Amino acid sequence: MALAALPRRDRHAREHLADLARRVRPVVFAHERAIPIAGELGELLPMGGLQRGSVVAVDGVRGAGATTVSLRLAAAATAAGEWAAAVDPDATLGGLAATELGVEPERFVVVQGVPDDQWAAVVAALLDGVALVHVTVTPALRAGDARRLVARARERDAVLVALGAWPAEAAVRLRADGGAWHGLGQGTGLLRARTHDVAIVERGAGARSRTLARAG
Amino acid sequence: MADEAAIRTCCIGCPDWPVVVARRTDPSCRDQPTVVLEPPGSNRVGLVRAASPEARAEGVTPGLRRREAEARCAGLVVHVTDVAAEARAFEVLARAVEVMTPRIMLDRPGRLTFPTRGPSRYFGGDDALVARLHDAIVDAGLGDVPVRIGIAGSRFAAGLAARRNTVVPTGGTAEFLADWPVRVLGDPEFADLLVRLGLRTLGAFAALPPTAVLARFGPVGHDAHRLARGLDLHPPVLAPPPPELVETHDFEPPAERVDIATFAAKTMADRLLDALAARGLACTQVIVEAETEHGEQTSRCWRHDRALTPAALAERVRWQLEGWLAASERPIDDDLLAADAVTAGLTQLRLVPDEVVPAVGRQLGFWGGDAAAADRAARAFARVQGLLGPDAVVSPVVQGGRTPAERVRWVPWGEPREPLRPDGHGSWPGAIPPPAPARILRPPAPVEIVDDRGAPVQVSARGDASGAPSALRGDVLPGGGGTVVGWAGPWLHDVRWWDPVERRRQARWQLVVHAATVDLACLVVLERGRAFLEAIYD
Repeated sequence: MALAALPRRDRHAREHLADLARRVRPVVFAHERAIPIAGELGELLPMGGLQRGSVVAVDGVRGAGATTVSLRLAAAATAAGEWAAAVDPDATLGGLAATELGVEPERFVVVQGVPDDQWAAVVAALLDGVALVHVTVTPALRAGDARRLVARARERDAVLVALGAWPAEAAVRLRADGGAWHGLGQGTGLLRARTHDVAIVERGAGARSRTLARAG
Repeated sequence: MADEAAIRTCCIGCPDWPVVVARRTDPSCRDQPTVVLEPPGSNRVGLVRAASPEARAEGVTPGLRRREAEARCAGLVVHVTDVAAEARAFEVLARAVEVMTPRIMLDRPGRLTFPTRGPSRYFGGDDALVARLHDAIVDAGLGDVPVRIGIAGSRFAAGLAARRNTVVPTGGTAEFLADWPVRVLGDPEFADLLVRLGLRTLGAFAALPPTAVLARFGPVGHDAHRLARGLDLHPPVLAPPPPELVETHDFEPPAERVDIATFAAKTMADRLLDALAARGLACTQVIVEAETEHGEQTSRCWRHDRALTPAALAERVRWQLEGWLAASERPIDDDLLAADAVTAGLTQLRLVPDEVVPAVGRQLGFWGGDAAAADRAARAFARVQGLLGPDAVVSPVVQGGRTPAERVRWVPWGEPREPLRPDGHGSWPGAIPPPAPARILRPPAPVEIVDDRGAPVQVSARGDASGAPSALRGDVLPGGGGTVVGWAGPWLHDVRWWDPVERRRQARWQLVVHAATVDLACLVVLERGRAFLEAIYD
């Protein structure tokens, strides 16, 4: 029954009903607060997606595919209708690769040329406004600042995807281990696709790994 | 006749103001050819913004790439733009002029204008006024700055008169303008059209009947025609905007830093321009007033020939406050600034729309989806722009081009998302097909590409490689490089072959290198016998 339908003078009854409505409101399950990720990358992640309010750390040596994996996470957020932002201190992020991986360019913004001393402030400001912040971790990041950002992400229900050596706790740690490239021969062909080897690093020891394909 | 619908104006301009400022901060480059580059974070980063006369004599012009400028002029001193320093230094000049007339309007650091009617009468004529201005500028310690002063019957003509350092007699504005080429109108495309129609000078263009110009060229031509006839762009008599449109912000606690005030100014500018837009108005001239805890005040009038955008307005607030607040943050040697430096934090900021014109239509973006989320995101991006400057927050727009870097234009947040080049399949022969590299190095990092005998691989003008690449070495690669396990190319790119200055000949390779523990795919470009790592498929 709609509250507006009750007589206006019956304030007591309205308050009582509002209180009841609050109590019987359904619980929000954790998986309802996740951004779903399709495909094998989603199968690798706990609950098949990105938990809002958590930190995902992606690491790997240069060229191992860490950027591709992290951009896929950003693509999942924009595909769900959310806004995403990236912090890219040395302005090397490839915009074309991002759109090819499915990032919606109209809801994706990159902050370039961030000085080290303002890095944490910029990331904190972005966490206030968008659902997913994709950051390239600067080596100068202090563990204290990183912990504050973890708290900020939790408070704002935003996902922080940290690319590089993340010095604080993370809900999920992924490691890109490279993978075979297809399509290129000895002087022939063209790069076409890559089989990405991605491992999820468990707390303690051990890692579950999986290979994902990126088609051209 | 021409002077009746225009205000006689004095323009004080300092050509290549960024260079002047760079030379004041670094006296060692006084006699050397000097250029100032666009600031980092702008979408034109690395391009020349201003060049000294010595550098111009060697053929260095604004818009060139740094490397090109250095190639043209040996011993070139390169500085990077410091917007704050430019605004600060110009504040000294603005104050020197303000002693003589209160109605100065700043276009940007390096150029200001004011109506001459009052001051000219007071000081006994235009020539006497110019002499006074020169004295005042020398007294302010700016004797070494190449200041040019011009007076003419309209704002536009005054700007041109300043280039020649002349005073145009009353009634002689149309005659003065007649000899100038049409490209001084500032719209290269339109000027090009006029030249092709045989109208080479402003005089020839001004002789056309206004109605015919409006019919043939539309509003753009109409505006240009007004300028060419020695009139002001907008009719000068405009109703004062209603007082409730004044936008005020009180800082509690007082703002101690410029970026805090700039951030507030961005929101205020949004509200002010929204309120004006609701009345169908746009703002061309705005007064920025600020007050500190101790009652010190600053007030400046900023002018923009086209309608101001929120970002442009916030930038002007920043310039003004940089010049004013920054004086108290750090010791500077300019006595004039130090004399009335700010002693307390900022308590109030006011934006007063001083001149408004009917808005001629602005395309508003249509965002689907959750409007609240878009608002929240926009606020966060504005906050970051307040911290780092408007050009640091960019969004990708896919456009046409051959290399991965060319294929994306980074558009500053808040500006229209339009590609520079059309993106059509087939119209870019030689473009590298997908997948695109996820990391594009700016600038490309030097690497060494060698064949199995250890000799560097070269590519001939016909595109033949001297050998098959067998190893790639460079500090940017993990483990310092490794053996090549797959390659394709070289593909020749002869870029802008019709332009002897901008022409670049490049050869590209796509390589897969076994570096450290991974197979790393990358793009390597060869130019003038040297190899660079351009992009990594990360």
